[in-house]
Amino acid sequence: MLLGVLLTLGIFFLAESLYKRTGFLLLNPVLVSIASIIIILQLSGFSYEAYMEGGQLISFLLGPSVVALGVVFYEKLQEIGASIWRIVLAVCLGGTLSIISMRLLSNAFQLSQEVSASLIPSSVTTPIAMGISTELGGIPSLTAAVVILVGITGAAFGIPILKLLGMRMDIIMGAGIGASSHGIGTARALEESHLCGAVSALAMCLNGIFTSVVSVPLWKLMEGWM
Amino acid sequence: MLRAFVIILLFLFAGEGIQQLLHLSIPGNVIGMILIFLALQLNLLKLDWVKPASDSLTRYLALFFVPPGVGLILHLSLLQEYGVPMSASLGISFLLTLLSTSAFLHLSPKKK
Repeated sequence: MLLGVLLTLGIFFLAESLYKRTGFLLLNPVLVSIASIIIILQLSGFSYEAYMEGGQLISFLLGPSVVALGVVFYEKLQEIGASIWRIVLAVCLGGTLSIISMRLLSNAFQLSQEVSASLIPSSVTTPIAMGISTELGGIPSLTAAVVILVGITGAAFGIPILKLLGMRMDIIMGAGIGASSHGIGTARALEESHLCGAVSALAMCLNGIFTSVVSVPLWKLMEGWM
Repeated sequence: MLRAFVIILLFLFAGEGIQQLLHLSIPGNVIGMILIFLALQLNLLKLDWVKPASDSLTRYLALFFVPPGVGLILHLSLLQEYGVPMSASLGISFLLTLLSTSAFLHLSPKKK
């Protein structure tokens, strides 16, 4: 048990120092930590179950932290102000395009229906995504893996891409990150600023609800086109 | 700090309870997040009561995602099986979602 905790905290500490020392955006601490621990487990033959005896003590704090995002959002509501409606519209647009593009792309790449259904909710927080995947006839465990993968991608690349394109405002970056890469992205957005994190938390929440309502009807509608 | 943590756990507990009672597809922690926001907004809860815990929890949010992320190890073969076409679909769709959301806000007129 101790080993899992020590490994997670130790590696994360090293990854964070590396990130701060180099200032290299792609060396995202979550990405580096997850990759390093996977490699260590693979090489040492230590099982994931054994690691999780300690790991779950750390991930337990995920629940209260998500609740705490509600507090951050409350603190930043004044600053978000009237932009909130534009954020809602932006997330609905992003959420819709996410579903449509995923369906068209998986069709173009000749992925099976089952895999396609598993990928549809990839930008949504894990528990919602697994529910949607089940409803569409996907493989929930594949969805869980893919959601984490997209989250890590968003955390590592999202903000650099937006900054490169000149979209540097906290509200703009937060909305994009939260809508595309849920909680893991939101953790990264919080490092940018509390405002960025608050908007990301809002976008994550909105896209989760929006996708769970819209994906099934949209999926059926697109069935007719294909 | 302790009071703040207890209050946040109570909201998480309430969120999970509501989720199970009503069989909602929205996760309990997200419901807890909405509830605590409403409680603060309606002045049922003072910011000072929860701020010490919320600040330290959100400071380390990224760390808490590491163990579930390591769970990818269980799906490596599944991910390899679908490999390139799947990564390409995911990558392009991710970019579209990110850019369309942010660009909408970047380009839409701001009312002051």
